[in-house]
Amino acid sequence: MTVLRAPFTAQALRRLAFCVAGVLSAVAILALPAILPGVAALILWATGAMSDDRPAPVVAPVFLVLLPLTVALLVVLAKPIGRAIAEVHRRLARRLLDEQVDVDRPGWRALGYSLLKVPLAVPQGYGAFCYVFGVVNLSYPVWWPLFRNHPPGTTLGPVHALTPFGLISTRTFAGTFLIAAAGWAMLLVAPWLMRVGTSWDVAAMRGLLGPRRLAQRVRELQVSRAQAIDDAATMMRRLERDLHDGAQVRLATLALNLGLATEKLGADGPAPDLAQARELVALAHRGAKDALADLRDLVRGIHPPVLDNGLADALATLATSSAIPATVRVGLPGRPAPAIETIAYFCAAELLANAAKHSRASRIALGVAQSEETLRLTVEDDGVGGADPDGPGLSGLARRLAVVDGRMSVHSPAGGPTRVEIDLPTHV
Amino acid sequence: MRVVIAEDAAMMREGLVRLLTDRGFEVCAAVADADELRSAVAAFRPDVAVVDIRMPPTHTDEGLRAAIDIRRDHPGVGVLVFSQYVETRYATRLLADRPTGVGYLLKDRVADVADFVDALTRVASGGTALDPEVVGHLMRAGSHTTGLAALTPREREVLALMAEGRSNAGIAAALVITPGVVEKHVASIFAKLGLPASDTDNRRVLAVLRHVSG
Repeated sequence: MTVLRAPFTAQALRRLAFCVAGVLSAVAILALPAILPGVAALILWATGAMSDDRPAPVVAPVFLVLLPLTVALLVVLAKPIGRAIAEVHRRLARRLLDEQVDVDRPGWRALGYSLLKVPLAVPQGYGAFCYVFGVVNLSYPVWWPLFRNHPPGTTLGPVHALTPFGLISTRTFAGTFLIAAAGWAMLLVAPWLMRVGTSWDVAAMRGLLGPRRLAQRVRELQVSRAQAIDDAATMMRRLERDLHDGAQVRLATLALNLGLATEKLGADGPAPDLAQARELVALAHRGAKDALADLRDLVRGIHPPVLDNGLADALATLATSSAIPATVRVGLPGRPAPAIETIAYFCAAELLANAAKHSRASRIALGVAQSEETLRLTVEDDGVGGADPDGPGLSGLARRLAVVDGRMSVHSPAGGPTRVEIDLPTHV
Repeated sequence: MRVVIAEDAAMMREGLVRLLTDRGFEVCAAVADADELRSAVAAFRPDVAVVDIRMPPTHTDEGLRAAIDIRRDHPGVGVLVFSQYVETRYATRLLADRPTGVGYLLKDRVADVADFVDALTRVASGGTALDPEVVGHLMRAGSHTTGLAALTPREREVLALMAEGRSNAGIAAALVITPGVVEKHVASIFAKLGLPASDTDNRRVLAVLRHVSG
């Protein structure tokens, strides 16, 4: 079905436009060096200087001057022209093919791309040709009765049709069906040809116009470094805030209550107000315990001490405190880098918390496996699905993973179940 | 003495209300953010307002800004700003126009109830109360540029207590010496630093602060 439908999609038409543009620019690129000599020849011809009776010496010097001029112009203009052509096709690719190619100030590479347009135009041209003439050929039986309705006995020349394999001619109505069949075949082949032409073109664009691999990597690292710095700053701010609003307030209040209690007990001798002092000490006692609980939570949020025993223990502990029953399966031959363990742990914690909040699942399976240099963490639930990888929670997780070149894939169709896979390098 | 309290942590707020009520203050209002504080001060005209620096919505320095507003709009109301950490910049902002009826203390100070109440009373009656921590910062920062090195250790102690806003009697009590000895120390300090002798505690604080903060 897809094969039959392929020619009639909007995508096919957009590809056609791109291919036609490709062929036109290939022609233009080929014609470019000939413009100046061509114009000169035209002028000479128009002024009659090139007529047969004039001797060659009149014309030859003109071209002797024109040749170096053309070469010089080409050398000077090659880069800007190459860039302009590349830019046009980059925009076309974005508009028509929905392919975003990031440019990295291409200079001579843009010229390379422009020259490459010529061979690239071959499949594109073939595709466009098959598409256009496929439609034309398919229409032969339709217009045959309109034009070939001469009285019987009239002798008419054959009708020709263009195919990639040469001309087909026919003198009969039945013959037009052969042409239509050829057209149909061309129409079916065209989308694939155009697809090849456009994808090679996009690949060439990526390779020649896009940032080089190293530059690309540098950019990725810049982004992830900025992310890491941001995260660290946010983390410190959150810690400060948690301490300020949590333990610090509790301890200050505790100090206040103990101060009051001290007053109630008096400096020496019998206490002036023993009952109130007792009450205040009880209050302070409770406050101290609350402050301890606060600090414990905070400490666990910074670095769960159990993580020092390894990911297996840490995840097992995490699973026992999960709101939804969770099973853990860990298969690790050795210990990954501490930073990786920490990231894996916090990812698991966040995914468990997400599942508890949104999934309505009855069971969660946590898994950690290692293959060669990659640690894979999987979190699977039997909930309602619909987790959005671009949502703030999961995208934040993905950004944090990117800092260590980790990757996350989310499979969560509406109706569930949800499966999140996280791949991390075992060493940073 | 009538007090308005602005503190966003409920526990702390209740503790303060309890402490001050217990010590015979009349707590007119205990609020949780800067806007409520402004309207409470306008409505009750208290003798003094106790203001936490970090309050909703931004949890940065809205308390401080409210305190500065109150000092401008209601000159008769003392303002005791208190916070979980001290910032010398905040202190200088607070003291910028006049060092009367103003205080800046660490929250920890509430643990020493008597000292805290003393500081609050001082601020309410137009005096000054600066946290030893702030004074320490200022003196450390100023010790290179000013003549502090010429002071004896005892004189430095006296200077620090002066900068906190204490009266001679208060200094005498804190150092367990007689007021007469304090006066001698003060005279010596002013002579060594080349400051004009001041009669009131407030002007003394200002002179000392100006001197140490260069």
